[in-house]
Amino acid sequence: MIEIKNLTKKFDDFTAVDHLNLTIETGEFFGLLGSNGAGKTTTISMLSTILLPTEGEICIDGVPLSRKASTQKRKISVVTQEFSMRADMTVEQVMAYQGMLYFMPRKERLAKTEELLEFAGLSRFRKRTVRFLSGGMKRKLMICRSLMIEPEILLLDEPTAGMDALARRQMWNLLRKLNNRNLTILLTTHFIDEAQSLCDRVALMNDGVLDVVDTPQNLIDQLGNYAVDETADENLKSTYFKDRSEAIRYLEAAGSGAALRNATLEDVFVSRMAKRPDERKQG
Amino acid sequence: MGILTVLWEKWTEFKRDFYKITLASMISPIMYLIIFGMGIKVTSNGEPYLNFLIPGIVSMATMSGSFGAVAQNMSVQRLYEKALDQVMISPTPLWQFIVGQILGGSLRGLYAAGVILLLTSPIRTGLIYNGWTFLILLLNGLVFSTIALTFSFFAKSYNDAPKFNAYIIVPMSFLCNTFFALENMPAGFRQFISFLPLSQTCSMVRAIAAGGVPTVFGFGVLLAYLLVFSVISFLFIYKKKNL
Repeated sequence: MIEIKNLTKKFDDFTAVDHLNLTIETGEFFGLLGSNGAGKTTTISMLSTILLPTEGEICIDGVPLSRKASTQKRKISVVTQEFSMRADMTVEQVMAYQGMLYFMPRKERLAKTEELLEFAGLSRFRKRTVRFLSGGMKRKLMICRSLMIEPEILLLDEPTAGMDALARRQMWNLLRKLNNRNLTILLTTHFIDEAQSLCDRVALMNDGVLDVVDTPQNLIDQLGNYAVDETADENLKSTYFKDRSEAIRYLEAAGSGAALRNATLEDVFVSRMAKRPDERKQG
Repeated sequence: MGILTVLWEKWTEFKRDFYKITLASMISPIMYLIIFGMGIKVTSNGEPYLNFLIPGIVSMATMSGSFGAVAQNMSVQRLYEKALDQVMISPTPLWQFIVGQILGGSLRGLYAAGVILLLTSPIRTGLIYNGWTFLILLLNGLVFSTIALTFSFFAKSYNDAPKFNAYIIVPMSFLCNTFFALENMPAGFRQFISFLPLSQTCSMVRAIAAGGVPTVFGFGVLLAYLLVFSVISFLFIYKKKNL
């Protein structure tokens, strides 16, 4: 279980994360969503101890996380947003280095490398230097590297960025499988459909502040399950309804340019992010 | 275990760049030896200048080899590749990572010194090298690896690495007892320079080469630098809020 208590991170006068409180249960697939600069990556960086909090603390299974907490760190694996690998190492050297950093015996390291590279379709690139891999391949390698150690908690910061649609779907399937093995997953993503499809619960962050935490379906229910899109002054405007018949009445009145559809988590995201902070507090 | 992991990483880097590393460690010292030792044929206190120069060049090679290996590698890992994140996240104790970096850097310095000793071995100088020489060179390498580590932690951008070289390595290369004796320097400045680590390494390696013994003071200066910069490195990696 991950407990984030009053977590705050300031860079000089700028507050990137502001008194964040969250609890992520063991085995939960949790999504952290927010616009650019919302504080998602800063939160992941504090969870991986790359950044230390200005205030507050993070506990893993009840024990505070710090740079010295080797037992807690052993449970966590991270896929960072940026490529964070030695560019001059080969694919198999990256995997070996990861295994060694986590004290894996050589035999186990080799077997796991084989299995993961095979799974990710990187086996035939094992001798290739990271510098010469494509963006998508580097991303796959980072995910293979994070799974090398069979973590209990997986932190994924934009793991599918730069991947094509097919690779993204393959990644979703993999993440579902991992989550089914009781792996706790914290995901940040710009693809809201990804979060809606995968996550048990999501948190929306804006300007470093936690806006709301709930299941995707509950958030959609609160907004209204039906959306009517219409174009006004060249801008797309969506209106949400909890009741389908009410949505249809509105659609009929709106005229030919309007369309009815099911609301998504993206609608929740867009409508909440567009509100002022005081309006968001009112729900 | 963590120390061995870092040494393994250094070893893979060394194997991959063997020719580049070897050539880079040879070029400057050979130039100095040719220009100052063979081109401008002078004597120092009745002895061939080469006898004075070679211990200085060997010490200097340890310094630049160690410093370069760590400063370059760490700046790239921390600021450009972000590969340090992989280490920070892992359960490998960070002190082991630091010790591994320092040891690895020192071994690279020792390798650079070994190359120079090998290259100068055909010259019949009568200079003596023994276990103390290599111990001092190893210690010098440890000191400069630690200094490099500290400075690379404080670097704000990848472009800062060459600046360290310009501000630290180049002045020390020329001033610290390498090309001329400290006695020829003005008072005050001489005392300041004599407290720099390379000055003591050169003095001790030169003393051994001439059949003498290293000084306790020399070891003390090197150990003091090692201690101070190690503490700064450890504090940085454990306490710095924004790595």
